[in-house]
Amino acid sequence: MKKRRRASNNKKVTYLLLALAVILLLGSAVGSTRAALTYQSQNYEAEIIVSQIGVTLLENGEEVSRRDYNQTEWEEETNVKESPKKGALLTKMIPEGKKLVLNKDYKEELAVTNSGTIDEYVRVRIYRSWKDKDGKKETTLSPDLIRLNLVNTDKWIERENHSKECIELYYKGILPSGKTSELFADKIRIDGSIAEAVEVREEVKDGKKTGVITMVYKYDGVQFFVDVDVDAVQTHNAKDAIMSSWGVDASNVDGKGNSIL
Amino acid sequence: MKRIQRYKKTIAMSAAALSLLVGLTLESSMAYFTTYVSAGGSHVVNLDARTEIHESVSNLTKHLTLENISTKGDCFVRVKVFHGAQVKVDIYDAEGGNNWYKGNETDAYGSYWYYRPVLPIGGTTTGLDIKIDVTDLLKDPNFMKPEDPNAEWIKDKFNVVVVQECTPVIYGENGEATADWNTIYTDFVEVEGGEEAGN
Repeated sequence: MKKRRRASNNKKVTYLLLALAVILLLGSAVGSTRAALTYQSQNYEAEIIVSQIGVTLLENGEEVSRRDYNQTEWEEETNVKESPKKGALLTKMIPEGKKLVLNKDYKEELAVTNSGTIDEYVRVRIYRSWKDKDGKKETTLSPDLIRLNLVNTDKWIERENHSKECIELYYKGILPSGKTSELFADKIRIDGSIAEAVEVREEVKDGKKTGVITMVYKYDGVQFFVDVDVDAVQTHNAKDAIMSSWGVDASNVDGKGNSIL
Repeated sequence: MKRIQRYKKTIAMSAAALSLLVGLTLESSMAYFTTYVSAGGSHVVNLDARTEIHESVSNLTKHLTLENISTKGDCFVRVKVFHGAQVKVDIYDAEGGNNWYKGNETDAYGSYWYYRPVLPIGGTTTGLDIKIDVTDLLKDPNFMKPEDPNAEWIKDKFNVVVVQECTPVIYGENGEATADWNTIYTDFVEVEGGEEAGN
């Protein structure tokens, strides 16, 4: 008899708590419904500007890739029609009919524009890598041989990471809506030391030298890659937002006490 | 105490339900406005250099030009002339211009002659002439005229050897083309007791 009463008490408590949970759930749902109802009005029309974040990568002053929030959806656009998510860099690096020349500086001015309606914090990650003739990753060539000349280093704080391939730059301060940042790079060159691994062959025909010497380069046909990722985050509650989105302490981005806030 | 034991399971389940509810409501407040873009590009690095020497002889003068037969890379070229002690040579730009100039090396083999302009893919240098003076050789009592059937060995004394070298074009800070002659590609090989040279 006692056991039956105890079981009945247990059930009562469970139902009570369940009812409480349902009431709390309904309460939160009703809250948002009520907010929606008060927004509507038959007499007045009001245009509400919603906070819209957006960012654009510029190369030599031209838009390469843009992603802005517009009212209800993301607007994505790049300089490649078939690829709305990833833009193309270095397309005009080498003049038509010319070939890449080692140790020669090519113009590569990179900057970021805040194309949204709210201010934001910005970071840039640059990846440099090599692939061999067969499209396999060439690990015997250092990414440092792809010399992207970083500029405005007082405005773009570099954060050390464990990968030689990746350079992380953090824009110091807020990038206001509609503004373009200072350049973070201005030129690119491929280091001439790539040509040092070479074998010289002299042509011999019927036992006689033909007067032709050929240099066979180890790295002939390799391909260099530069990829740039740009991230932007809101300025409201920035420290937490940056930590949550990028996993970085904004008040000490480079581990040397440099803050971007 | 017994009561707590009795409701242990129920309390635990209720706590789990509540934390789930709190978790659901927290999600919206933790979302931040963020966005991103990405872009990338690449180029192939073509490395190749091939040069060919063209020689002809007339009136005891060796006429030579160098051709860049590579399909991928421009280069700079230079030559060095080797000859026997009894032969004197006079080297000069065949067209009287200043495309060819004498370097100021002072090693045992003499100076190089440099071609000043960049030799582009498919390009050929202007001519460099090497006038051979055999006056001293003719004074040698052992000298035999080439038509002499026993004069074959004289060819060695008479021989003037040209060695070609090239180096890739390097660009300086201001984009000016320069040659780094520390990185050379030559058909000259030094051997013990003397030198062996191509052509």
